[in-house]
Order: sequence, then structure tokens, then C-alpha cells
Amino acid sequence: MIFIAIIIGCIIGALIGINIPTIPYTYSGYLAIAIIAALDSVFGGITSTLKRNFDMKIFISGFFVNAILAIALTYLGEKLNVDIYLAAVIVFVGRMFNNLGTIRRYYVEKLTSKKIIAKAEATIKQANEEK
Amino acid sequence: MNRNKISIILGIVCLILSIAIVVQIKTIKGTSSTVAKSFSEDSLRDEVLKWKEKYDNETRNVENAEKELIKIREEITKNDTTASSKEEEITLNNNLLGFTNLEGKGIELTVKDDPNATRETISVVDDISNHIVHDGDLRRIVNELKNAGAEAISINDQRIVTTTAITCIGNVIKINDEKVSSPFVIKAIGFPERLETALNRGGGYLDWLNDDGIVTSIRKLDNVKITKYTGVISSKYMK
Repeated sequence: MIFIAIIIGCIIGALIGINIPTIPYTYSGYLAIAIIAALDSVFGGITSTLKRNFDMKIFISGFFVNAILAIALTYLGEKLNVDIYLAAVIVFVGRMFNNLGTIRRYYVEKLTSKKIIAKAEATIKQANEEK
Repeated sequence: MNRNKISIILGIVCLILSIAIVVQIKTIKGTSSTVAKSFSEDSLRDEVLKWKEKYDNETRNVENAEKELIKIREEITKNDTTASSKEEEITLNNNLLGFTNLEGKGIELTVKDDPNATRETISVVDDISNHIVHDGDLRRIVNELKNAGAEAISINDQRIVTTTAITCIGNVIKINDEKVSSPFVIKAIGFPERLETALNRGGGYLDWLNDDGIVTSIRKLDNVKITKYTGVISSKYMK
């Protein structure tokens, strides 16, 4: 259900994005960092859904605050001539990998437990037949 | 928390995200550069293009104005003999100073660095510096041409005028404050046979250059085109 919603959202978003005008080149750096922040939020959202502790307020506020803070840091780095945006990229991408690891673990465990249950059921069935 | 609600929120966020990604890709594709190291670099590039455009426009204006000036002068001096002789004098002086494009009989000499000279191919006692064309070589060629009666000379379209200096700046040569490099195309207007023999005679300067492997070739032409001097000759201290 969640993944269907994500895929539909992505397709519609891509269709809208193709038809709207581009932004000035100067601001493309800021948009890039905002995209990374948003991607991080999406992965965080999926993970918390799987863990069953999803909180709408935390998710939405995280989405916007992360993006705005990343843009602000990029702007500051631009003024100070330090590539601060690299720090934001590292943190966000690192968290993305963590969340991806959690998601992967969840599904692998689910699959393994399903197999074990099926095996146990088969054994029980066999035992009953032997009786 | 309702699972459907979560799905809808995540879907909306993904919608925003993919809009942003597509817009970003489109923006990056639209610019010629692959990676801009900083934002200021971008604005600098923009500025350079604008100035270049302005410069081109101004040069065109100057050229048009000069053409008009010549036309006006001709018109005014048409019926006046003293004025027309003055006009002729002005034209002659401008030609001599190098302020006009010229055409006429002459030669075109090409001088090129030795293409085969590397540290491996030359002998141990030889110097690789001997195998390239230096500023001094060009000065001597120009001197030789002047001696043979050349009326106008240019090297790689840099007109040799009274204030011209030919100097060495590292691996290129500076003529009229412009950098030029090998191959050098030296054009001279004058009596072609005389110019050619002056350069080509046995023991002449080209002989020396050829001994070091420098490639030279002379063409005698009926119509050599020499461009004008584009700089300014100052007269601040002359009295």
C-alpha cells in the first residue's frame, strides 16, 4: 500500500515536473541539497512506518526543517567560502543508508520467519499423518 | 495511525520530491557546463560574454565611422586641388604609419619550429633551444626585409609599425602587446624577387635557421593582404 502510493506519487510528480518551467541556474545548488534532505525524510518515513512508530507531526516538520536548514547551511557556506553543503550531504546520505538497512532487515526477517513457520507446519502435518 | 493516511502523506511527499528532481535535471541540462565549481564562477562567465558582445559592437561602430570619414573626405576634396593633394598626403602617411589595410605585390614567409626535435632525437651536445624560433630570429628577419625595401610587414597579422617591439615572454613571443606563436606567417609588401633573394641567399639568415631544422617556406604573391595596426600610438612627450 505504502509503496504503491510512493510509486504513484513519483510518476505524477515527474509528469508535473516535465511540464513546469526550470529554475534559474544559480539556485539549482540549493534545490539539489533540498532534494537530498527530502529523500532522507522519505526513507525515514518508510522506516518508522515499518517500526510502527510513525508520527505525522515529526515527519512533516522533519521534511521541511531538514530541507530549510540544509539550504541555509549551503547559503552560509557560499558566503564563507566553505563547502558546508558537503557535510549536509554526508549526514543525509549516511542516514539514508541506515534507514535502507533497517527496511531491508525488516523484509528479510519477515521472509525468513515465513519460511520457518511453513516448515514447522509441514512437520506437524507429517506427525499427525504418522499417528 | 491509520496506514492509509500514512500512504497518502508519503505519496504527497514523493510527488514534491520527484517534481524537484525533474526540475533540477532539466535545469542542469539547460546549462552548457557540466559542473560549476561555485556560484560566482557562473556570474563571471555571464559577465565575460556580455562584455565581449559590447566590445564587438563597438569595434563594428568604429569601422563604420572610419569608412564614413573616408567617404566624406573624398567628397569634400573632389573639386579642390590643394585639398586633394593634402588628402593624398594623409592617406600616404596613414599607410606608412600602419593605420590602414594594405594590398600589394610581395612575399609570404612561413617559419615553423623544428617538428622532429625532441630530447631524444637531438645529439647530446646540441641544445633543444636552437630548434625553436626565437624573438631574435623574427627581429633579424624583419630587419632583413626592411633592408630589402619592404614597405609594410606583418607577423601573424600583427602589423610592424614604428612603436612595435618583438620580445620573448616565456614560451610565446609578444608583438604589439599581443601573444603570437609558431608557425609564424610573415607577410611583406615590396618587390617580391628582391625580398626573396634577401632572405634566401646563401649564408643568409634563413640558411642559419634551416641548419637548425627550422622549417621555412617563401611564396611570392601578386596580392599580399596586410591588416592594419589596431593599437594606439601615443604622443605624450613629443614636442
